[in-house]
Amino acid sequence: MLVPFPVPEVPLVFRGHIQQDREMAKSVISKLQISYPLPGGSAVVIFDDPNVAKQVLQQKEHKINVEEFWLRVQVQPLELPMLTTIQVSSQMSDQRVLVSGFPAELKLSEEELLDKLEIFFGKTKNGGGDVEMRELLQGGVMLGFAKDGVAQRLCQTGQFTVPLGKQQVPLRASPYVSGTIQKAEVRSQLVPQAVLVLNIPDVLDGPELQDILEVHFQKPTRGGGEVEALRVVPLGHRGLAVFTAKSG
Amino acid sequence: MPGLEIMAANEDNKKQALKECCLDEEFTQDEQNQKLIDEIAKENILLTEEIQKLEAELQEATRNSQINEDIPETKIKFTSVENPESDSQFSNISYSCQVSSKVPYELQKGQALITFEKEEVAQNVIRRGEHYVQLQDVNVKMMAKPVPLNSGVRFQVHVEVSKMKVNVTEIPDILPESQMRDKLELSFCKSRNGGGEVESVEYDKQSGSAVITFVESGGTHVLRKLNGALPFQLFADKILKMKDYPLYINQNCHRVIVSPYTETHLKKFQVFSGVAKRTVLLTGMENLQKTDEETVEDFINIHFQREKNGGGEVEVVACSLGQSQIAYFEE
Repeated sequence: MLVPFPVPEVPLVFRGHIQQDREMAKSVISKLQISYPLPGGSAVVIFDDPNVAKQVLQQKEHKINVEEFWLRVQVQPLELPMLTTIQVSSQMSDQRVLVSGFPAELKLSEEELLDKLEIFFGKTKNGGGDVEMRELLQGGVMLGFAKDGVAQRLCQTGQFTVPLGKQQVPLRASPYVSGTIQKAEVRSQLVPQAVLVLNIPDVLDGPELQDILEVHFQKPTRGGGEVEALRVVPLGHRGLAVFTAKSG
Repeated sequence: MPGLEIMAANEDNKKQALKECCLDEEFTQDEQNQKLIDEIAKENILLTEEIQKLEAELQEATRNSQINEDIPETKIKFTSVENPESDSQFSNISYSCQVSSKVPYELQKGQALITFEKEEVAQNVIRRGEHYVQLQDVNVKMMAKPVPLNSGVRFQVHVEVSKMKVNVTEIPDILPESQMRDKLELSFCKSRNGGGEVESVEYDKQSGSAVITFVESGGTHVLRKLNGALPFQLFADKILKMKDYPLYINQNCHRVIVSPYTETHLKKFQVFSGVAKRTVLLTGMENLQKTDEETVEDFINIHFQREKNGGGEVEVVACSLGQSQIAYFEE
């Protein structure tokens, strides 16, 4: 894609991906993260062996032996939403600009920088207008304006001297190309080593419960096996189980 | 008196001359102005044409830029259990990832790409310009240049799958609005059908659709009933059919379609200009014969690994001896 105006630079490298025919631009997916809410009185168990998890899940209810009594809990497989197809189109935005030219040594936090830019470009005397949206990007900041015409006006002026803290910084406003999702397909993917334990009765406190569950799920006689990780969310609390992409 | 006459004549001449001179000046001034106006008009036309050309280029560029990606299955691992910061974090399963386009470069016949471990080495190789590389029994003069790259896009995708809401569609238009809303609530709170305690119902009679919000995680029961690998699909104007659900109206059972309530957002979208810092373009291999790409790549690798050749640690080499190929640059 050729754009006839300056955009921030990103260093790229050739890693050997080469092929004969030109297809649609390929992409790299990174920083994958999924957060799964865990209600109070639940636990997540990660087994070393996915077959063990499968076996454990064959019984919907497990009776866990705790000294003189039994704890009845439910187990469930863990399925996470995964993006499988993404189609995004881009177009010039009438209401947004890209502000760039920030010096590397700028000592402002994201929030401070965005605030100062919003203040400056929010003033009509500077050629700006009501800022509706702001986003920090790599090498620049995107500002979205409520009214039509503001963005064009700012791009026409081009150069601005903006007070950022103690410095007066020369910045540039240029057209912003924005993206729209045309299609996003999300599929459910099973986490093969995971088991969700639900409806754990409130009879034990955290650390004790953790031990009891670990012991139970490691018993081969109950179809259990080596446990890689086990986390309990006690009743009255809430948790978010965080998953990321396996590297390598 | 002849003297006076001559003087007078001279005066007259002067005046005449002055008049003519003034006229000339005026005339010249007009001419000059007209010239200027003409020039400015010409420039204006040229500039307008250029603006139109650039605008067309821009339209072309942005129309053609699309990311269309099928993402292969990624293995997931458990990281930790955190405390949710807000209620909204707790009511959705959240997915997020960053997508960054690989920028293609058409590697022509006779060209090669070499990626060094260190940026400094790459820059030195480019600075040197000419390199004489021994390729088997031939000494080839190669030119090292920076790789001209186009722009790419990068953005974040955020997907929120609600644990408390479900989409309902294909609701028959056979009851007044508030009555249908009640019927929906009654049908969806029946746990024997997989329902749960309903907090609210948003019903759109015209489209025959509704969003049912359950109390806490009542919705998961409904969704759990929809077993198997469920494809959730969000198009701009379509909803994929999923499992159906019984809606009871006056002794009749109507099947309505239920699907997860999903919101997808794009964040931090930006166009960037690709700059190859560690990769160098080598040219000069157009006339190589009786050799294959792999051999040439090996020789290039060996040559540029050597510090005495101005090189350093090499990560990858690729060359094109026949057909041109597309090399992809990534972050």
